[in-house]
Amino acid sequence: MLYAHLRSSIVRLCLCALLTAFPLLTHPTATLLAQPAESLSTGVIPTMGIDEVTEGTLLFKTNQLGRYTPAPILKTDVQIAVTGIIARATVRQEFTNPSQKKGDWLEGIYVFPLPETAAVDHLRMHVGERIIEGQIKERAEAKKVYEKAKQEGKRTSLVEQERPNIFTTSVANIGPGERIIVEIEYQETVRYDQGKFQLRFPMVVGQRYIPGTPVIVEDQDPKGLGTILDTDRVSDASRITPPAQEPGQGSINPVSLSLSLTPGFPVAKVESLFHPVIVISDPDGGYQISLKKDAVPADRDFQLTWSPAPSKEPAATIFTEQRGGETYAMLMLVPPTQQNDAAPHMPRDLTFVIDTSGSMAGPSIEQAKTSLAAALTRLTTQDRFNVIQFNNRVRSLFPSPQPVTTAAMRKAIRYVEGLSADGGTEMLPALRQALKSSQDIARLQQIVLITDGQVGNEDELFELLHHRLGTRRVFTIGIGSTPNSHLMRKTAEFGRGTFTYVGNVSEVKDKLDALFKKLEQPVLNDIQLDRTGWTALEHYPSRIADLYEGEPIVLALKATSLPDQAILRGLMGTQPWSLPVSMKQATTRGGLSVYWARQKISALTDEAFTGTAEETVREGVLDVALAHHLVSKYTSLVAVDVTPVRPTGKPETEQPQSARSAEDQEKTAMAELPKTGTDGQVQLLLGLLLLATVAILWRVQRATE
Amino acid sequence: MTVQRIKTKVMTVLGLALVLTGLWQTGSGAWIYMKAQLAQVLLQRAWAGTLAGQQDVKPWPWADTWPIARLVVPSLGIDQIVLEGAYGRTLAFGPGHVESTGPLEGTGSIILTGHRDTHFRFMEKLQTGERILLQARTGVWHRFTVQDRQIVDSRTATISTQEDKRQLILVTCYPFHAIVPGGPLRYMVIAEIVERMAEDKP
Repeated sequence: MLYAHLRSSIVRLCLCALLTAFPLLTHPTATLLAQPAESLSTGVIPTMGIDEVTEGTLLFKTNQLGRYTPAPILKTDVQIAVTGIIARATVRQEFTNPSQKKGDWLEGIYVFPLPETAAVDHLRMHVGERIIEGQIKERAEAKKVYEKAKQEGKRTSLVEQERPNIFTTSVANIGPGERIIVEIEYQETVRYDQGKFQLRFPMVVGQRYIPGTPVIVEDQDPKGLGTILDTDRVSDASRITPPAQEPGQGSINPVSLSLSLTPGFPVAKVESLFHPVIVISDPDGGYQISLKKDAVPADRDFQLTWSPAPSKEPAATIFTEQRGGETYAMLMLVPPTQQNDAAPHMPRDLTFVIDTSGSMAGPSIEQAKTSLAAALTRLTTQDRFNVIQFNNRVRSLFPSPQPVTTAAMRKAIRYVEGLSADGGTEMLPALRQALKSSQDIARLQQIVLITDGQVGNEDELFELLHHRLGTRRVFTIGIGSTPNSHLMRKTAEFGRGTFTYVGNVSEVKDKLDALFKKLEQPVLNDIQLDRTGWTALEHYPSRIADLYEGEPIVLALKATSLPDQAILRGLMGTQPWSLPVSMKQATTRGGLSVYWARQKISALTDEAFTGTAEETVREGVLDVALAHHLVSKYTSLVAVDVTPVRPTGKPETEQPQSARSAEDQEKTAMAELPKTGTDGQVQLLLGLLLLATVAILWRVQRATE
Repeated sequence: MTVQRIKTKVMTVLGLALVLTGLWQTGSGAWIYMKAQLAQVLLQRAWAGTLAGQQDVKPWPWADTWPIARLVVPSLGIDQIVLEGAYGRTLAFGPGHVESTGPLEGTGSIILTGHRDTHFRFMEKLQTGERILLQARTGVWHRFTVQDRQIVDSRTATISTQEDKRQLILVTCYPFHAIVPGGPLRYMVIAEIVERMAEDKP
C-alpha cells in the first residue's frame, strides 16, 4: 500500500553515476570531500524488491537491504578540441527515463568529475527538437530558478560546481519514456610536464574515502542515493558515493569520445595511454583522434600525450577568435628542445637567499647546502655572486655581489658549509638586502630564494618586489610541505621568475641542481609584445616572464583591432631578438575568449593580495564570469523550458523541503552565542578582599587587646 | 565576662567563616584559570590521538566534548585546542566551535568563541593583517589573515556567514578587563582564508 503510494508520486532520484576524478583518488582526505553541498534530493525515494521488477530496469541498491530503485539511463558523448594549450570539451549527457508507468516522473542528478582546472561555460538542454540555452546566474539565484521551475512542473536543468573537480547536472521532470539531453561545454588548460603535453578526461568509477560517523536522522531520508550514509563530517556523503559497478557488468554508462588536436607546433608523437585510438593527421599540422571502439565503459581515464618535435629555435604560434566585436587571441612561445650553444652567454649576478630558520634543520638544510655548493662551483669568472642567510636576523656574505675569484669562492664554500638552521623566519629584510645590489641591464640578475618556512606580511613583500625589482628576477624554491606555497608562487610571479616546489625532502638536491642549470641560460629574456598596431590591447599575464628550456609561455590577449603581424621582442643572451608572428594565417578557434576571461579572473583574484578590497574583486570577477558564461565560485548555469509539462499539484506535497529561507541560514544571531567572560576575576577579587578584611580585623583586635 | 567570651567566640566564628569564604572564592577563581591551562595540556594529548585517526577522542574520561581543531597564532605564541560546541561547560576548557556554523572541513564560515579572560585574552592584541592558523582533524592547515575587528552589541547584532566563503570569526566578551562578567558587548575578529595547505605544520 505504502509502496504503491510512493510509486505514484513524483520521485526524486539521484543517479549518482559518479566517475571519480583522479585527483580525488590520490588525495582521499576529507578536505575535498567534507564540504557541505546544498541538499538537492530531500524527497522520498521509492524502493522495490528484486522480485517486484517486471521489466529490464537499471537498479540501484538502497540503504535498505534488498530494496532497489530504478534509475534514469545515461549516455555520455565527449568531443574535445585542443588548441595550443587550451582544451575545449563538449560533454553530452543523455538522460532517459526507462519507466513506462504513467506518473513516473524522474529527476536525474548526475554527479560527474571534470579536470580540476576545468571551467564550465555553456549549458544546453535538448528537449525533442527544441534547444534551451542555459543562463549564467549567481549560484543561489540559479538554484532558486531551478527549484521554482521544478515545482511548476517545467523541464529544467542546473549545473553546479560541488567541489573544484566535481560537478552535478540536475534535470527535473523527465517524463516516462522521455529523453532529455544536457550538453555542457567546458575548457581547461593542458598540462605540460617533462617535455610532454598531457590531456586527461576522467572516467574512472572509484570508491571514495568518506571520513566520519554515519548520522541517521530519524524520519528523514538521506540526501542522496549513494552507498554510504551521510556522516557527521561529510554531510552529503550519500550524494557523492554512487553505487559501484562490478567489473565485467557491461557498460552501464557508456562513453564515446573524439578529439581534434591543433598543437601549434610540430609534434613528434601523439599517444593515448589507456585507450586504443585512431590518429589521423591533417594537412595543416593537426590531428583527429577517436577511440577505436565506439563506446567504452567508464572504467579508466582517457589520457593523451603529445610532445614537440626537436628544434633549436624558439617558435611562436597565434590563434584568434572574434567575439562581440572584440578579438581574443592566444600567443604561444615554445622554447627549443635543444640548447643553442652558439648563443652568447650572459654574465650573471647570482644572489642566493637561504632560509636558515629552525624548521630547515635536518635533511632540508643539508641538501640545500650541497646543491648550493655545487651551483657555486658552476659559476664562471665573468659572474658575480652573493649568499644571504636569514633566520631572526639577516646575514650577508658580501655587502653586494662579488666577482668570482679563488679567494671569494673559498670563502663562500666555507660559509655555505657553516650554515646551520636555527631561529625564526624574517624574509622581508633578507629580500630587501638582496634587492640592494646595483642594477645592470648587461647582466642577468637572479635572486634565488630557498625556504621551507611560513612567511607572513605578503603585502609588504609584493610591494617591495613591485617597487624594487627593476631588471632583477626572483626565483623561489619551496622545500617540504611548504605552508605558504601561495606566497612563493606569487613572489616568483611578481619577481618574473619561476617557483619550484620540492615536496619530498629527498628530492631537494635533484630539483635544485636542475633549476640552477636551467637558470644559467634563459633562452630569451626581457620578452615584450610590440604594442604598435594593437588597439585597446589587454593581455595576461601583463608582465611576460623569461623563456626557459622546457616551459612554454602563453599570453591571453584581447584587442579591438590587430596588426597584420604580432612582434615579440626580447634578448637572446645579450643580442636583441625579435620574432614576427603573422596574424593573417592565424587559426581561428573557439574558446580563446574564455581562456582570456579565466586569466583575467585569476589576475583580479591576485589583486586582493595587493590591497584591492574583496568586494571590488568579487564584482570584477562577477562581471567577467557573467559576460563569459563561466561557472565560478560565485556563479552557476541554469536552463528552464518555459512550457510546463507535468501537471502540478498533488506530487509536490511529497517533497519535504526545508522552510528556512536563505537569509535565515546565513545569519547567526549573536545572542545565540554563549557568554564568554568567566567569574574568575570577580571571585579572585572577592576572595582576596575577604581575606584582607579578616587580616585587618584580626590586627585591630590584637591591637585593642 | 560571659558577654566578653560570647563576643570573642562570635568574632572567631565570623572570622573563620570569612577566612573560609575568602579561601573558597580565591580558590574557585584560581581554579578557573588553572582548569583552563590544565585542560589544554590534556587536550593537546587528545589532539595527537585525533590526528592519528581516532574518532572523537575524549580528553578525559567524563568529558562530553572532544577536540576538533588546533588554533595557532604564531605572532602571539598562541597554541590552543578547539572543542566541539560552544557552551559554558566546554568553554572552561578551551575555545569552542559554534556547531551551527558547519564543519571545519567545509567551505563555509566558522565561528569560534572563547573566554575573554582565559583562552581568548590574546584577541585583544590581535592586529589586522595577522596570521591565524587552524588545523582540522584531517591534519589540513587553514591559513587566515585578520581582516576586521569589531565591537558589537550582542542583543542586536548578527554575524553574517556565507556558505561558500570561508571566514574565521572569533568572538569573545568585551571589554576585556571588565571585572563583572555578562555585559552585552562582544568583540569580534574576522579573518579571511588565505590558503589551505595539506599535510604538516609550518
